[in-house]
Amino acid sequence: MSDASTQKRLRVRYRKDGRLAYLGHLEVLNTINRSVRRSDVPFAVGNGFARRIRLQFSQALPVGASSECEFYDLTLTEELEPSRALDMLRRATPSALAPDEAGYVDRSLPALEAWLTRADWHVQLPAQGVDVSGLGESFSALKSEGVLSYLRGEKRKTIDVSSALVSWEISLMDDALHIELATRSSNDGSLRPQVLLNAAFDRLGVAGSDVPVPRVARIGQWHEGEDGLLVNAL
Amino acid sequence: MRLPREDWYDRLEPLLARVEKPSRYLDHEWGAVEDQDGPFHVCMMYPDVYEVGQPNMGIAILYNTLNAQEGISCERGFLPWIDLSDLMREKGIPLLALESSSPVASFDIVGFTLAHEMACTNIVEALDLSGIAIRAAERAEDDPIVIAGGPSVWNCEPVSPMFDAILLGDGEEAIVEMCHVVRDARACGMTRAEILRGLSEVEGVYVPSLYDVVVDQSSTEWGYAVSREGSDAPEVVLKRTLRDFSKTDPLPQKIVPYMGIVQDRLAIEVLRGCARGCRFCQAGMSYRPVRERPAGDVIAAAQEGLAVTGHDEVSLTSLSTTDHSQCAQILHQLNEDIRGTGVRVSIPSQRLDSFGVEMAAEVGGAKKGGLTFAPEAGSQRLRDVINKNVTVENIDMAARNAFENGWRRMKLYFMMGLPTETDDDIVAINEVADRVLEIGRDVVGKGPKSGVSVSISVAVFVPKAHTPFQWAGQLPLEEVRRRQQLLLHSCPDHAIKISYHDADVSLVEAVLSKMGRRGFELIYAAWRHGCRFDAWTDQFSFQKWEDAAQEVGFDLQKIASEQLPLTVRLPWEHTSPAVSKGFLQREWRRAAEGVTTPDCTMTSCTGCGVCPALGVKNAIVGDRHVGR
Repeated sequence: MSDASTQKRLRVRYRKDGRLAYLGHLEVLNTINRSVRRSDVPFAVGNGFARRIRLQFSQALPVGASSECEFYDLTLTEELEPSRALDMLRRATPSALAPDEAGYVDRSLPALEAWLTRADWHVQLPAQGVDVSGLGESFSALKSEGVLSYLRGEKRKTIDVSSALVSWEISLMDDALHIELATRSSNDGSLRPQVLLNAAFDRLGVAGSDVPVPRVARIGQWHEGEDGLLVNAL
Repeated sequence: MRLPREDWYDRLEPLLARVEKPSRYLDHEWGAVEDQDGPFHVCMMYPDVYEVGQPNMGIAILYNTLNAQEGISCERGFLPWIDLSDLMREKGIPLLALESSSPVASFDIVGFTLAHEMACTNIVEALDLSGIAIRAAERAEDDPIVIAGGPSVWNCEPVSPMFDAILLGDGEEAIVEMCHVVRDARACGMTRAEILRGLSEVEGVYVPSLYDVVVDQSSTEWGYAVSREGSDAPEVVLKRTLRDFSKTDPLPQKIVPYMGIVQDRLAIEVLRGCARGCRFCQAGMSYRPVRERPAGDVIAAAQEGLAVTGHDEVSLTSLSTTDHSQCAQILHQLNEDIRGTGVRVSIPSQRLDSFGVEMAAEVGGAKKGGLTFAPEAGSQRLRDVINKNVTVENIDMAARNAFENGWRRMKLYFMMGLPTETDDDIVAINEVADRVLEIGRDVVGKGPKSGVSVSISVAVFVPKAHTPFQWAGQLPLEEVRRRQQLLLHSCPDHAIKISYHDADVSLVEAVLSKMGRRGFELIYAAWRHGCRFDAWTDQFSFQKWEDAAQEVGFDLQKIASEQLPLTVRLPWEHTSPAVSKGFLQREWRRAAEGVTTPDCTMTSCTGCGVCPALGVKNAIVGDRHVGR
C-alpha cells in the first residue's frame, strides 16, 4: 500500500448520454468503479471495512437526464500523466459514460458533491399545447414564493426556489420548447428541472401524465465562490 | 407469421421515463455482443426481469457458445416488469430482445430457461407479449422454433405444450447442433414438422409433439408419454452430458451489468454435479456425474475475469464448492492474488463440517458476516432418512469452529414435511438451533453484547421428479400450518429467530412438480386469471391459483399431497437424467429404513446407473476423502 502523502487526486470530467442517460446515480457509481478497476490505473483503496476504491462523484443526475459535464475525483497511488490516465480510463469505460478530460487537483479541496454548487441545464419538451408565456410567469411566481413543497416517491421534500433557481430563458424552435436553467444547490438540497416543471405546469392546471415528458441535460457545473464568481472544476 | 427483424428501441424509449428501473432495458453493457449479424438469430429468454435472469450461468454459457459460431448470433431476452409490459401492450409494442431491440417473434429460435416451476406463468406471459402462439401446436410454419432447457426440465410435461423442443441436460454442445438442424432444414425449405423430427434426433432433445399421453391402470391420473408410432422418437430421451467439463470455457460471464443484479459478482463454475445423494435434491440426481475443473484453470479464469470485468468479488459456484478436491489450494492462491485490491472471494454455501468452516474462514478474511449451514432436518433419524450424512457431532464442531473463528451470526436451513417426519423431528429443529446458540454463548459469552444470534429458516418439502422422494406426497396445508405453530411454540429461547416459507407457494410448486401434460390447462388458466411473477412474494396470489384450479376442475391439495405407489408409471419417465428407477426405488426403501448411502466420489460406486447409461464417469482432479 502506498504512503497516503504521495497519493494524487485526479479529477475526471465525463459524459452521460445516449441510452445510459437512464442509469440511476448508484448504477453510474458502480459502473465507473468497475471501469476504474478494468483500466489498470494505480487506484487507491480505502482502509475501511469494505475496502472501496477512493472515488468521489459530483451531485446525482436525475434518471433520464444526460450530461456532458459530470465529474469524479479518483485517488491514485502514483502520478500518471493525466493524458495517459485519461486514455486508460476511456478504454475501460462504456462510450456513453466516457471520460473527456482529466487533471490533478489539490487534495485539500472539499468533496465534489458539496463543492460544485452551480449547474446549467438544457430542457427540451414538445411545444404543442404549452402556454409559453404562462410557463415563464409560473417560474417567476415560484421564485418569488420561495419554498416549494413536493413529493419525491413517497417522501415529502422542500426546496427554496428563490435561492435554488438562479435564472431561466425560454425559446421556441422547431415545434419544441427549449429552456435554459441555471440552478444553485446548497446543504438544503438542489432543484431538479423536473420538479420545477411539474410545479410550473401545476400552476397552469396541467398535472400528472398530462405534463409533457422533457429531455433534460446538465450542460455545466461550477463552484460558486463567495464573490459570486463561477470557478471551473478543472 | 414471423415478425420482421427491425430495431424498435425508438418506440420503446419514450416509455422508459415512465417505468421503474429503466436500466433493465438498456443493453449496451460492457462485454455484451453488439454485432448481431446472424444471419441465423437466436434469442435466449429468461422468464423474469433482467436482474434475476442476467446472473444465470446457463444463459451466459449458451450466449457465448452461440455467438462464437460462424453465422449464428445470440441475444438475451428478459420479461419486462409489469409496469412496462402493460405500457407495451397499450402501445402495441411486442416483447423485444435486448441487443438489437428487435421483436422476439422475429428470431429463428427462441430458447427459454426453465429455472424453477414458479416461472411457468411468466413463460405464457412472455410468449403472449411476443405475439408468438402460446401452444406449439398452433404455431405457423414460419414462426420461431421455441425451445427450453435448464435445471427444471425434469418434469417438463405441464409446460411442454408451449415448446417445440426441450433440451435435457448440458447445453454447450447440443444447442449448436439444434441450431444447425433448424438452420439447415429452413434452408432446404423443410416443413415445421420435419424440423421437429430432425430436432428429436439430436441426443438429449425431447420433442413433446411426437409423444402421446396414455392413461391406463399402470399410470397415475396424468398418464405417461409414449412416442408416436412412426415418429422414430426414442421411447426414453436420455439427458445430454458433457464428457469433458474441464475443456469448457471457465469464464462465460463477461457481461458487466449496470444495475444491481441478484448475484452481482464474477462467477466461476468450479465443478458440475454432486453425488452426496440427498434424497430430496433434484439437482443432486440430475447433474451427475461429478466433474471438477482443475485448480489452475479456475485460478486463471478468476484472474482474467476480474481484469476484464472490473468486478470486486469472485464467487466459486457449484452445487457443493467445498467438495472440490482442490478447494483449499484454489482459495489460498486466489487470496494471495487479490491481497490489497479490495476484491473478495466467496463460496455460495458451506459444508457442515470443520473443513467447511476452514474454507469459509479462508474466504471471509477479517469480514465476518453471517454463516449459513443446511442441516435440513432436526433429528439424526430424519437426517439419515434424507441421506444428509451430517451428524450432531459435525454440527457441534462446525458451530464451535465458526464461533471461534469470529462469526457471530449463524443461519440454519431446514425443511418441514419430509417423508416420515413426526412432531419430535419438528421439536428437534429447535433443539439443534438451541445447541448452536449455547455453543456460541460458551465460546463468545452471554448477553446481547456478545452479538451471538441464531436464525432458522424452514422451507416446506416439495417432492421432485427423478429423486428418491418423487413418490412422496406433500404435507397437507393444514398440517404444515400446525407444524409451523408447533415449531414456533416449542422454541426454547427468544434469541432464536424463526422464519418459514409461505405454505401456499410450496403447495403450488408441488402441484406443478407432480402434474402431467394436462397440467398446462391449470397454468394457462392461472395466467388468464392474472398470475405472473409468481416467484415474487408480493405478486403471488394463491386465490388466483385456486380460482384457476376451480375453473379447470383441479384439486390443488389433492394433487400435491397424493402419495404414489413405487410401481406406478410416472408422467416424467420418458425424459431421464439417467438415474435408474431401480436406484431411486432402492433409495426410497433405504430412506424408510433410515439407512444412508455414501457419496460415490469418496467411496465406491453406489449404483445410480448414470455412468453406464451415458458412458461417462466422475472426473475428480485430486483426492476426495470422507470427513476431510
